[in-house]
Amino acid sequence: MAHVNAKPLGGKIFTTPVLLLLAGAAIGVFFLSVRYAHGIGAVSNLSDYMPWGIWKVLNVIVGAALVCGGYACAFTVYVFNQGHYHRYVRPALLLSLLGYSFAGLSLFYDVGRYWGLFNFMIPKYWQANSVLFEVGLCVMTYICVLCLEIAPAIIEKFLHGDGRLAQLLYKFYRLLDRFLFLIISFGILLPTMHQSGLGGLAVVMGQKISPLWQSPLVSLHHLVSCIAMGYGCVIVTELMVSEDYKIESHLAILSKLAKVMSRFMFVFLVLRLSEVLRTGAILQAFTPSVDSLSFWAEMVLIFGSIWLVRNDAARIVPRNIFLGSCLTMAAGSLYRINVYIIGFHPAPNVSYFPSVPELSISLGMICLQLALFITIIKTFPIIALERR
Amino acid sequence: MKNKSRRQFVKTIAAAGAGVLAAPLVSAKTAVAAKFRGRRDRDMGMLYDATMCIGCRSCEVACKQANRKPTEYDADGIWDAPKDLSAKTLTLVKLYKDDTAQSFVKRQCMHCVDPACVSGCPTSAMVKQPNGAVTWNADACVGCRYCQMGCPFNIPKYEFDSAYGRIVKCELCANNGYLEKGFTACSKACPTGAILFGRQKELLRTAKERIRDNPGRYVEKIYGEWDSGGTGVLYLASVPFERLGFPELPEYSSARISEGIQHTIYQHMIAPILIYFGLAFVAFRNTRSAHKQKED
Ligand code: SF4
Ligand code: SF4
Ligand code: SF4
Repeated sequence: MAHVNAKPLGGKIFTTPVLLLLAGAAIGVFFLSVRYAHGIGAVSNLSDYMPWGIWKVLNVIVGAALVCGGYACAFTVYVFNQGHYHRYVRPALLLSLLGYSFAGLSLFYDVGRYWGLFNFMIPKYWQANSVLFEVGLCVMTYICVLCLEIAPAIIEKFLHGDGRLAQLLYKFYRLLDRFLFLIISFGILLPTMHQSGLGGLAVVMGQKISPLWQSPLVSLHHLVSCIAMGYGCVIVTELMVSEDYKIESHLAILSKLAKVMSRFMFVFLVLRLSEVLRTGAILQAFTPSVDSLSFWAEMVLIFGSIWLVRNDAARIVPRNIFLGSCLTMAAGSLYRINVYIIGFHPAPNVSYFPSVPELSISLGMICLQLALFITIIKTFPIIALERR
Repeated sequence: MKNKSRRQFVKTIAAAGAGVLAAPLVSAKTAVAAKFRGRRDRDMGMLYDATMCIGCRSCEVACKQANRKPTEYDADGIWDAPKDLSAKTLTLVKLYKDDTAQSFVKRQCMHCVDPACVSGCPTSAMVKQPNGAVTWNADACVGCRYCQMGCPFNIPKYEFDSAYGRIVKCELCANNGYLEKGFTACSKACPTGAILFGRQKELLRTAKERIRDNPGRYVEKIYGEWDSGGTGVLYLASVPFERLGFPELPEYSSARISEGIQHTIYQHMIAPILIYFGLAFVAFRNTRSAHKQKED
């Protein structure tokens, strides 16, 4: 792990953006206290017909997909042996760890009986037929794996010095480095399982989900798109926090990453289109409705994300890479919202739009996550820096 | 190396896709038959004959009493007038009316033979009991509301107005002591015999006899005989079931598709374990070559 020259970014921690983010988080926490005192109905527009809203779909399902860059990068670096992407592994892992932890945290206010969440760890309650059980267990294990994967970055900060503790840490560090391949393999297997599982959740909802999105292949659609989203998120982070892309050689690597991203988006597009053609659901996309509008919006986003980084000439412009990555993330997110909210029709004339307190909680949690991310990259060696 | 791994990758995706696609399609119907053979003989259920129902709502009252559920008042504050099933109302009689026909229809949990709610529940809180009732266990439930998302009839309700909400649904009176005594509160209360309680096999036979002996009285369908893999509560009516608010469902439960995929991928955990060791091998080789490069 040590062959990337990562350094803390340094600088003041409580800058204006961070303070603003914390303010956003505070509003969320206020409404959370209302939720815990008076129940989910007091702050949200959730109902018996629309029991899953943005908390589950945005903060958990979309959130986990956006931050699976740790998975996508580990896959590229260690399986496809593309070592030159190595510098992205750490930021991606940190994004993943934070993202997954917050997805897990979100469950504690989204589910009605949060104290029961520990039942996931009690074998007598296990339910192997349930996709949700599989996802839950995989995510919990994966968070532990991510901690191990990111541990070297944290330990590195405390290695200098020659006390007993430093020596012990060094031993642990060596051990991790030695058996990294065992941990990494888990770090690839588990996300493959739960990212497809996050799509597989839809299957049991059967005909309640519009045929524009329902499919026996829905897990595969989720899996392929989440990898692209993970790359997108890593690219955007890199362009925003590091100035290194101004060095030509780094831009070249970034553009290769964008290429892989668009390949996955292309596979996603082909899979989605062939499925709606196979089932004939495409016809529904030509009748005016919210569903068809959202379907085409998704298609436009997918197509745009591929178009922006279509060839080497386009991929050498940082703005194209940035926008292409943003569109990729947007396309994947809209796809997930389409599956679980917009395309979900439990009965005629049922509609759902999140309430203000519900949105505040969702956004507050995202703010908190960003504030933490910024603080950590300032304090710990995560981002690779060539020149300062 | 690069081209090879890309080709390999595409191949893997294609293979996985084909497997996932084919597995549920070939096995869904046969899986239903195999898994549920015999359940109809054992399981208890109800037969509701809409043509015999007079809309007196005695069953609603009896159900509320049996389950100790509060009144849902109308605007005047005197009538118990729920508009829909809710966490306070486990069964409801609705009236369908158009120019030519009218029919009452009683709704409650269908006690599916292959329930989607049970299949999805991550912590075994929803359980299909050996006697056919689909019940809920407060200690196990995490309140994820996946059962609500899965149920094709939108039956499970959640107490959104409570800080410690529970899932509420008709449990075929298994939760309130009536089922042990050999009947359900609603069927017992019905003055016309429109709700029969009994073994599903016999209820099915009765339903078929009624259709045969009374030509023209019923639409030629027993709702629940096959719908969504079959349901424990069966319906006879004179008005087509879509108009009474029943969804048109395939002959198998969505749980069969979901579990079909799940079991194909995770059978005995063989595939995940093999993949793990494959990954570990590749990662081992690649990290080692990276270390070597660094040393050189
Ligand atoms: S009707 Fe719904 S709640 Fe009742 S058993 Fe069937 S799936 Fe479960
Ligand atoms: S809400 Fe409770 S009963 Fe329903 S699926 Fe979740 S854990 Fe199971
Ligand atoms: S079976 Fe029992 S719980 Fe279900 S509707 Fe009838 S009285 Fe109510």
